[in-house]
Amino acid sequence: MVNVFAVQVFFIVFRECLEAIIIVSVLLSFLKQCLGQPNQDQAIYKRLKKQVYVGSIVGVILCLCIGAIFIGLFYGLGHDAWSTSEDLWEGIFYIIATVMITIMGLALLRINKTKQKWRVKIAKALVEKGHGKSRWMRSDWGRRYAMFILPLITTMREGVEAVVFVGGVSLGYPATSFPLPVVTGIIAGILTGWLIYRGGNMMSIQIFLIASTCVLYLIAAGMFSKAVWSLQYYQFEVGVGSDVSEEGSGAGSYNILETVWHVNCCNPETDNGWDVFQAILGWQNTGTYGSIISYNIYWLFIVACVSWMMYEERTGGAGLAVKFWKAMAHVPGLKRLANKKLDGMNIEDDSAVQQVNSTMFHEPEVVEMTVQAK
Amino acid sequence: MRNFLVGLGGFQLLLGVSQAVTHTFDWNVTWVTANPDGLADRKVIGINNQWPLPLVDVNKGDRVVVNMHNGLGDKSTSIHWHGMYQEDTNDMDGPSMVTQCPVPPGSSYLYNFTVNQNGTYWYHCHTDYCYPDGYRAPFIVHDNESYFADSFDDEMVFSMSDWYHELMEDIKPEFMSLYNPTGAEPIPGSFLFNNSISQSYPVQAGKTYLIRLINISAFVGQYFWIEDHTMRVVEIDGVYVDETEADKLYLSVAQRYSVLVTMKNSTEKNYGMVMVADSSLLDTIPSDLLLNQTNWLEYSSTAAHDNVTMPVDDSSDIYPFDDITLVPYDRVELYENPTKTLELTVIMENLDNGEGYALLNNISYTAPKVPTLYTVQSAGDLATDATVYGDYTHTVVLEKDEIVEIILSNQDTGTHPFHLHGHNFQLLDRYPAWGADFFDYDAGTTFATFDADNHTAFPTYPARRDTFVLPPGGYFVIRFKADNPGVWFFHCHIDWHLMQGLAMTFVEAPLEIQEELSITTNQRDVCEAAGVAWEGNAAANTEDYTDLKGQNKPPGFIPPGFTTRGIVALVFSVISAVIGMIAITIYGVSDLKFTMTEVGLGDGATTVTPEGEVSAYRD
Repeated sequence: MVNVFAVQVFFIVFRECLEAIIIVSVLLSFLKQCLGQPNQDQAIYKRLKKQVYVGSIVGVILCLCIGAIFIGLFYGLGHDAWSTSEDLWEGIFYIIATVMITIMGLALLRINKTKQKWRVKIAKALVEKGHGKSRWMRSDWGRRYAMFILPLITTMREGVEAVVFVGGVSLGYPATSFPLPVVTGIIAGILTGWLIYRGGNMMSIQIFLIASTCVLYLIAAGMFSKAVWSLQYYQFEVGVGSDVSEEGSGAGSYNILETVWHVNCCNPETDNGWDVFQAILGWQNTGTYGSIISYNIYWLFIVACVSWMMYEERTGGAGLAVKFWKAMAHVPGLKRLANKKLDGMNIEDDSAVQQVNSTMFHEPEVVEMTVQAK
Repeated sequence: MRNFLVGLGGFQLLLGVSQAVTHTFDWNVTWVTANPDGLADRKVIGINNQWPLPLVDVNKGDRVVVNMHNGLGDKSTSIHWHGMYQEDTNDMDGPSMVTQCPVPPGSSYLYNFTVNQNGTYWYHCHTDYCYPDGYRAPFIVHDNESYFADSFDDEMVFSMSDWYHELMEDIKPEFMSLYNPTGAEPIPGSFLFNNSISQSYPVQAGKTYLIRLINISAFVGQYFWIEDHTMRVVEIDGVYVDETEADKLYLSVAQRYSVLVTMKNSTEKNYGMVMVADSSLLDTIPSDLLLNQTNWLEYSSTAAHDNVTMPVDDSSDIYPFDDITLVPYDRVELYENPTKTLELTVIMENLDNGEGYALLNNISYTAPKVPTLYTVQSAGDLATDATVYGDYTHTVVLEKDEIVEIILSNQDTGTHPFHLHGHNFQLLDRYPAWGADFFDYDAGTTFATFDADNHTAFPTYPARRDTFVLPPGGYFVIRFKADNPGVWFFHCHIDWHLMQGLAMTFVEAPLEIQEELSITTNQRDVCEAAGVAWEGNAAANTEDYTDLKGQNKPPGFIPPGFTTRGIVALVFSVISAVIGMIAITIYGVSDLKFTMTEVGLGDGATTVTPEGEVSAYRD
């Protein structure tokens, strides 16, 4: 199965595509709602819409370039190094992939909250006029082209994530195993994103996002566990000094002293079907202390993070990023940047939004709609 | 060296056999430095500061007295007289913890026995993998009454050996290691022929020589043939056989052959004696390891000494002479109606310390706390109860004169040359036979098994020897008569496999042993110096011989599948994952509160009932 279809690759590509599509589509619908009404300035709306499209496409192109360079370096320079100590590199790349997924994965669950942020950003972009001789001096370039930069960064980031992941994961798989999941992942991601955008209501979208995030973190936990497993196995391999994985299952194929369980079957490397189980849940037919403890610790870490973030939200405490930039604001030289960042993060600051509302959202219909919503 | 030996042999022939001689040796065993292959100096075990060790050369009926002093300073030792039946002198047999205590540094052990047999033998250390450090040499018993005594003019002894460049004590931790899970045997650094390499041995045209071949290796078997000369086998492991022509011989570790070879009448060319290592035993073949070696029968020192070209690429394509087809000269008939049949299976696997072990019927031999012979001598009537010898010495108690049949099956992919102390045994059946099919079962997936109701007919006069090769994945059937009271070790003679526990013990007529032997003061002193108990059961319990608490044990078996801790770990992992996903779900659902003011995707925003306080955003 894994020889033609690496499940992890499919899911990650699917998920990254979906994330990009959702963000872009949310931006578009947001623009439409804010500015796309018949009695509004169609020129501004069209310009911003164009920015979104161009930004997304440029992002994809950039990510393809970065990906090509990455893959080129990866296979051109290092493939011999990878293959001689495959388990070492697999462990390292899995850790990188786990960290990336862990940081990015939860963000999508805050899509609604993020939209609040954008509202403020866009409103500011539309309302505020900087002071200075040129755009650059006024430093409102970023705001003016927010609708370009946001999708650009989003698509590029998701794309690079996918590329790094596919590159890293493909270490353990034959080259034939990833064209199919990459293509089907992209198709499925775009299709799902479109369906969500078209048909779904907020609730079902959120449920879908929650479910896919759960699977994403299952994969991440499995990868983290597998990373530790691979590093331990690498150590064992170095000790043995030959290709232990040739041994397949059974005594001698693993370090008994590190082992919590070992079953002489169900080897994800050699037995059909179990590779899928491994890809999604991190299954190993040899459970080591390291891999099992890391799996559990990973989940505990996720629970702790989620709890912390929810606590912060509930008590109105500042988020980690806010804290970070607040600390940075004390560092000489970074003060301006930090304050700007903090400014952008302040979604409670409704003044700009109200200003926009009063100048632009003055149509009675819109007001009524929102009143009804209450 | 050779000339000396031949001269000595001739001298004794003149004396005649009727005159039994006592050969007394004082041997101080010490470390010396040697470099037999010219590749590396190394420490070897010498006798009286000499190496190679003295070749023992006696006549049938002679008495051998060896006072062995351990001058090594850092390790224990002993001597096994390989192939000697040791009738009435079981305590002279030599294996440590079987018939004696290991002789610690500074102690001496007196070996004293009569040689009532003839042929080609050898002696070697039999304490904790010590003989591959060089402690091994031929032991020749001449017999001028043999049926072929008049058929040769002169004789030569050639030993073959693998040679390691490291000390066994340094190799052992790498071999018995978590990091050697396959139990891959250490690869020798070279192969020696007569403790040297590529030498010439002068011969005279037209003469017939009796050539005694001994493989004194630790590990690797050797194929042997002589270019353009036919060998006529007359003796295997001390047993005379009808003269039989053989092209190529295979000598496993510890096997011996005597062959008659008649020299050509021309002196124009020197002929190679070819020794080819059995590379099927080697897991890896280093590029600098020479598997083939030519030594020469030198007709003329001025003629060319050409290396013999190999007829095959792989040693397993050499089809050696099948020793099971030989007929013993004494025409001892097949022992009928065995009263004890042992079905044994060789399995190599990892135990729960991750190291490779060898098992016979699921028992990996582990030395007892008291040498088994001393348990026999101290257990009284309980000596007939195998229990007292412990669970891991794999002891089988035999009655006097019973016929014992061993059906040994191999579930390992390598060959195993099995050796029985105190006896030779009849070779009844072996499968696969030497030849094209010999390695048919070396993949380790299927194994041949012996069917007692359907097998090739046993020979009327089976060949006998004391070391017999078990084919990969195959089996052999042997029989012997328990007519020699004593404690006799039965083990694979590959020293690495013995280290892994491929051995068992026969206690033959224990009550007769008690009558014949009693522990000597010297033997007791050696035990005390070594800190080894000399009475009691396998656990050194002298109170209750059936209580084996505290006996030496091999590591445990690796449990198949999930154990309790595995299930606990799995359950905890599942719980963690579930809790984690619940947390993610709660977090995700709580995001819906932000949808309140949102210009939604589609008309989704209006379908959700937002929480009140969020509406503040729009106020």
